[in-house]
Amino acid sequence: MPKHDTPLMDELEKGPWPSFVTDLKRQAETKPECWDILGQMELSFKDRITHWKHGGIVGVFGYGGGIVGRYSDSPKQFPGVAHFHTVRLNQPSSKFYSSAKLRDICNLWEKYGSGMTNMHGSTGDLVLLGTRTENLEPLFYDLTHDLKQDLGGSGSNLRTPACCIGSARCEWSCYDTASICHHLTMHYQDEIHRPAFPYKFKFKFSGCPNDCVASIARSDFALIGTWKDDIRIDQDAVQGYIKGDYKPNGGARAKSKPFDIDEDVLALCPTACMRMKDNKLQIDNKNCTRCMFCLNMMPRALRPGVIKGASILCGAKAPILDGAQLATLIIPFVEVTADNEYENIIEVIESIWDWWMEAGKNRERLGETMQRLGLPTFLKVMDVTPIPQHIKIPRENPYVFWTDEEVPGGFERDIREFRKKHAQ
Amino acid sequence: MALSVDELKAAIIEKATKAPKPQLYIKDFYACDADSKPRVIKNVANDLVKEGKLMFWSSGSTTMYALPSRIKNEETRPQD
Amino acid sequence: MGYDPKNPMVDRITDIGPPHFEQFYPQVVKDNKGKWLYHEVVQAGVLVHVSESGAECYTVRVGSARLISIEHIRELCDIADAHCDGFLRFTTRNNVEFMVDNKAKVQPLLDDLASRGNKFPVGGTGACISNCVHTQGWIHCHTPATDASGVVKAVMDELFDHFVNMDLPAKVKMALACCLNMCGAVHCSDIAILGVHRKPPMVDHDAISGLCELPLAISACPLGAVKPFKATNSAGEEVKSVTVNAERCMFCGNCYTMCPAMPLADPDGDGIAILVGGKVSNAKSNPTFSKMVIPFLPNTPPRWPETVAAVKNILETYAKDANQYERIGEWAARIGWEMFFEKTGIPFTMKSIDDYRLAYDTWRTTTNFKFTSHCK
Repeated sequence: MPKHDTPLMDELEKGPWPSFVTDLKRQAETKPECWDILGQMELSFKDRITHWKHGGIVGVFGYGGGIVGRYSDSPKQFPGVAHFHTVRLNQPSSKFYSSAKLRDICNLWEKYGSGMTNMHGSTGDLVLLGTRTENLEPLFYDLTHDLKQDLGGSGSNLRTPACCIGSARCEWSCYDTASICHHLTMHYQDEIHRPAFPYKFKFKFSGCPNDCVASIARSDFALIGTWKDDIRIDQDAVQGYIKGDYKPNGGARAKSKPFDIDEDVLALCPTACMRMKDNKLQIDNKNCTRCMFCLNMMPRALRPGVIKGASILCGAKAPILDGAQLATLIIPFVEVTADNEYENIIEVIESIWDWWMEAGKNRERLGETMQRLGLPTFLKVMDVTPIPQHIKIPRENPYVFWTDEEVPGGFERDIREFRKKHAQ
Repeated sequence: MALSVDELKAAIIEKATKAPKPQLYIKDFYACDADSKPRVIKNVANDLVKEGKLMFWSSGSTTMYALPSRIKNEETRPQD
Repeated sequence: MGYDPKNPMVDRITDIGPPHFEQFYPQVVKDNKGKWLYHEVVQAGVLVHVSESGAECYTVRVGSARLISIEHIRELCDIADAHCDGFLRFTTRNNVEFMVDNKAKVQPLLDDLASRGNKFPVGGTGACISNCVHTQGWIHCHTPATDASGVVKAVMDELFDHFVNMDLPAKVKMALACCLNMCGAVHCSDIAILGVHRKPPMVDHDAISGLCELPLAISACPLGAVKPFKATNSAGEEVKSVTVNAERCMFCGNCYTMCPAMPLADPDGDGIAILVGGKVSNAKSNPTFSKMVIPFLPNTPPRWPETVAAVKNILETYAKDANQYERIGEWAARIGWEMFFEKTGIPFTMKSIDDYRLAYDTWRTTTNFKFTSHCK
């Protein structure tokens, strides 16, 4: 039985898109606190403002992250959501599940929580939405003992790493994103669960430059797959596309005008490095930047090369405070292999941390520290040799910070000696 | 020379006791020993949490440290 | 045994991490990982991946509200058990993917999904409007300037046809963040719906000393608008507090994040800004930020008609005008932003010109422009 009148929320039961309101009502049949979720949400719709109080200090003992505290500002009206803390569960790489695992999680949440979830949070965690403080420790006990899994990160921690589907079901993935994501998640459990840094730090792993987990936009450390050698071409398949046997762009459009390789691929290649000669597709691979556009257009005909690895880019973040930043290319190519337990990547990550933990101000993301102290400083501490790949264009101002040692004779000069030759 | 773990623990507790504000960033503890690497200090501070001598305080986006006796808690705050 | 509140540390297990992903791979994925040759969208919402072994993996992609109940998840499990040997996955954009190893298994799966009302819309592939990734809004967040799930539901209802039909020039990735903190990459989306505040924070002098560390609140302001201040509380006592210089406030809410005694949300002050033309993929054009084209629309629950109409207008104008395979940002850059405003009919105002840091980068420093109705 509905506990509150919710005429505004009820409006959101109409329409073709799945309705979270209908879903909440269905859940409320067995988890009556969902009526209070609906009730408080209705009040927010009426008042046009949130009714959640600010923050709260809750967690499981010994962890500095994984739980976000939340309290209603109208607990008398909505006692079912007086406490409404979220629990972040670290998701399996690429968000694959078995129904058995999901049912276990549902049963856990039926026992301890509101029954509502986010599949998934923006960072990647499986988010359990709404529980009481006294349920946190018992939930954590069952989670670790019975479900054999763990919380994700929040606060000034390493946030839960996330990756694309990778080579599990994608022909473009240049390394096994799921494996390194899992490996580093396990390797850095302490950094995920306890504060370690001036502010949050995010890893994201994308298998190719299409970047399906948006690593270049939102991770402090982005590993984006790429390759070093030539794009592999199947000339027969190229002809298949030209003849119209295959749908262009992997069939991404329901209705396309007839495929024209000149107009739809060659002319749109950003580096103009492709041409047809004697009815064969030629790619000037030296001038290709591996943007993926032609591969996206003709997936049956073109594949990444065979010398595969990844580029490392650093410092992306959303706008708060000084504006958004995209990640900056730092290392053009690294091998990504489990054979060395990703030692070469771990080394890069830890040089970043050693520097940022000292140089970063409180609540300053890596990208902001990089911007404040400069890319040259960052490259120096990373022991990376500057190369033109680090920049879009050469610098446009002449203000070079030369140092004492770099100028013959140094900075110390004698003004009196100078005056002997140059009268005032 | 870097402080021993026990000396470092004592210095961190002293800092958390005497600081004008109860919540401290991990960076505030770096000054407890200039010769210890930040990650060493972080590990010692987190050990103190495990021992119950410090606690985490989180805004959701930022996590800080505090002496449990100095912290304001939502559920101990008077409710209207 | 179970948890013993008297001995919370007994048998405690910590730092065991997530379950290993491999145990959740469907057999066809396990057998063909790293061996995939190519893929194709068979029909909207249905993909086939073909392995060098000849094996095929058919994927049916289903939209979801992201905010879902365990009853809904159990139903997803029932479907996975009936058709997919009990496996399923979620995508970065909150869709659910069901995978089968044989074309013959696709139609029964589609029929099953269709038989369950509107809970499982099949789509979200190729040149469509993607599922709108979003944040919490009024269902859980303490700093939002708008709701999330409600706005997304209203927008997705209106654009539903573009989710289930691949009828756009290229893919359109849409995202909503309910405040400037942007929990999610909305700043690089084709269409971003962003909650914004427009009133400076109030200062609760009665509560501030009990709730906040003043230095944290003061240093939280990027523009130095929060200053120490001796205030008088309602009991007439002098208390150490802060004051806000309203002229310098950029309404970011960072002070409220650090100090609960400085709330800034307001029914009339808060609303929605629309940004367009961002992308994260490196394909064809570089990753780029979304640009703000509408600085403010009011919060009008339950269905936010102004926001829905604005998004629809941008999308339909783009769909009519853009070249094939052109993302929204690529289209706007090609025709020029003056033509974008001309064609969409979105009013261009002083608020559309950047006046924050590095604003100069966005000013036009060339004689190359197009004459539109804006030039009087």
